[in-house]
Amino acid sequence: MITVSALTKRYGSRVAVSDMTFDVAAGRVTGFVGPNGAGKSTTMRMMVGLTRPDHGDVRYHGVSYTRLQHPTRVVGSVLDAGAMHPGRTARNHLEAMAALSRIPARRVDEVLHQVGLDSAADQRAGGFSLGMRQRLVLAGALLGEPDVLLLDEPSNGLDPDGIRWLRTSLSDFAAGGGTVFVSSHLIGELAMFADDLVVVGGGRLLAAEPVAATLARGETTVVVRTPDAAELSRLLDRRDLSITVDGDRLTAKGITLAAVSQIAFDHRIQVIEVTEVSRSLEEILLDMTGSTAEFAAA
Amino acid sequence: MITTTTTKTVGPAVTDARRGATNRIITRTRRHDLAAVPAAITSEWIKLRSLRSNRAIFGLTIVAGVVMSWVLATFVKTDPYDHLPFTVANTFMTATWLTTVMAVIVGILMYTSEVQHGTIANTIAAQPARWVSVAGKATVIAGFGLVLGVVGIIAGFGSAVASGMPMGDLSGAIAATAWGLVLTSLAAVMGLGVGMIIRHSSAAVSMTLVWTFVLENLIRSMAPAGASRLLPFSAANGMLGIRSAGDTATTLAAALSTTQDAVLFGGYALAAIVAGTVMLYRRDAD
Repeated sequence: MITVSALTKRYGSRVAVSDMTFDVAAGRVTGFVGPNGAGKSTTMRMMVGLTRPDHGDVRYHGVSYTRLQHPTRVVGSVLDAGAMHPGRTARNHLEAMAALSRIPARRVDEVLHQVGLDSAADQRAGGFSLGMRQRLVLAGALLGEPDVLLLDEPSNGLDPDGIRWLRTSLSDFAAGGGTVFVSSHLIGELAMFADDLVVVGGGRLLAAEPVAATLARGETTVVVRTPDAAELSRLLDRRDLSITVDGDRLTAKGITLAAVSQIAFDHRIQVIEVTEVSRSLEEILLDMTGSTAEFAAA
Repeated sequence: MITTTTTKTVGPAVTDARRGATNRIITRTRRHDLAAVPAAITSEWIKLRSLRSNRAIFGLTIVAGVVMSWVLATFVKTDPYDHLPFTVANTFMTATWLTTVMAVIVGILMYTSEVQHGTIANTIAAQPARWVSVAGKATVIAGFGLVLGVVGIIAGFGSAVASGMPMGDLSGAIAATAWGLVLTSLAAVMGLGVGMIIRHSSAAVSMTLVWTFVLENLIRSMAPAGASRLLPFSAANGMLGIRSAGDTATTLAAALSTTQDAVLFGGYALAAIVAGTVMLYRRDAD
């Protein structure tokens, strides 16, 4: 269980993170989403004591990260896939990490096997692909058999097999009671395995809720092809819906396909085609964060 | 736009008994931090020994020791100040000054390479008591500086003997060796401190080299002897008993004792480490 309370960070006059408050439950995969500059990385860095908050704190099972005796045995984090010396082998990289946290050396081979890097254990990290580096930093996060995983864009550079492996690993980790907090700009990917979402924009919390609740924010649109579009529009207008008519094509927002069909049937309106269009999670999140995006294409 | 600061619990609560989670939630104390220093030393030792560049510096130190004694024996032959033939006793530590500079550079790179490659974040995330990691680094780099000094001196001695130099008076050799090793150890620690302050490899190394080979000599040539004797590498020269072409009766009279030089150089090393540690605490770990 992670408790983030009133987390605030300013850089000069710019507020990077403002009064961010949310909890992340154990046994769930929680996605952390928001546009570039939304404050995701700053928040995650504050969550592992790398950046000092100006205000607020983050607690794991009630204890602040920097007060934990062995933080890496409680929280495994991946904030930068490039965080390794290119001249050091994967094994040496992990051995140094294990020694610092007094983690038994046998864990090095275990995690190398777990992330599929057994055969590259004695290769220098400088020759690793981005995907291999992602696996190595993930191995580092798993070294201490933590209860919480904090991952910043962990699927960057992974091939489709690697992404599937990551998705399964994180879901299994959460299914075992672990807490997974993962940021990703691949919202479609995240939607496939995240249970909950924390949505941020402009350094502020926009929502913290189950994925299903976020999906429910997207209004369903029903498109009807009918020769009596004007009549159907008049009937639907009584319900205070958003309706547009273009020839024989009527589009209604905020009503279900079943309801439209019933109204048409009740009033003997011929329907040629009726389709329900649901909005994707990506579209919904873009709408939620759109006005807060710091960088956007022209 | 939805803006909220209300606490929200995401999803249903699930038991946190996973892998004995609650057993690991121990709030650290000063005693825990002290007990963590050996682990930090082990970790830093693994980092140091696992890089080829450090092994290369080790090899370079041997080469420097061998070459310098050989050059003195073969080409220079007589001391330019005393005009007496070189002996093993007065040449075996000639390369120690270079070893000192290399120790400073290794100390710098120990920290700046961590910043450059982002691994400092791993270190700080794993050990929030930042001074513990500094203590681990300082201990390991001091030991490495000592070993570099030993290797350079052995190489210089062996090369001097092999080059056919007479032994000379070796009565002060043990004391000279001891001061030389104190210097190379402290130089490595000072380098670590400089690296922690500057944080950028090439900037820190080039600034150190410019200071050592250019600025300090310029200052020494212009400043009064009473002031220039307080410069860090004047103290280093004093510890090694090195005389310079610029020495006059006044500068020699103002020279500090070897112990004073060692205390002064140690003070610089300590100041660099303390300043670096304060900055490490104040800065975010980028």
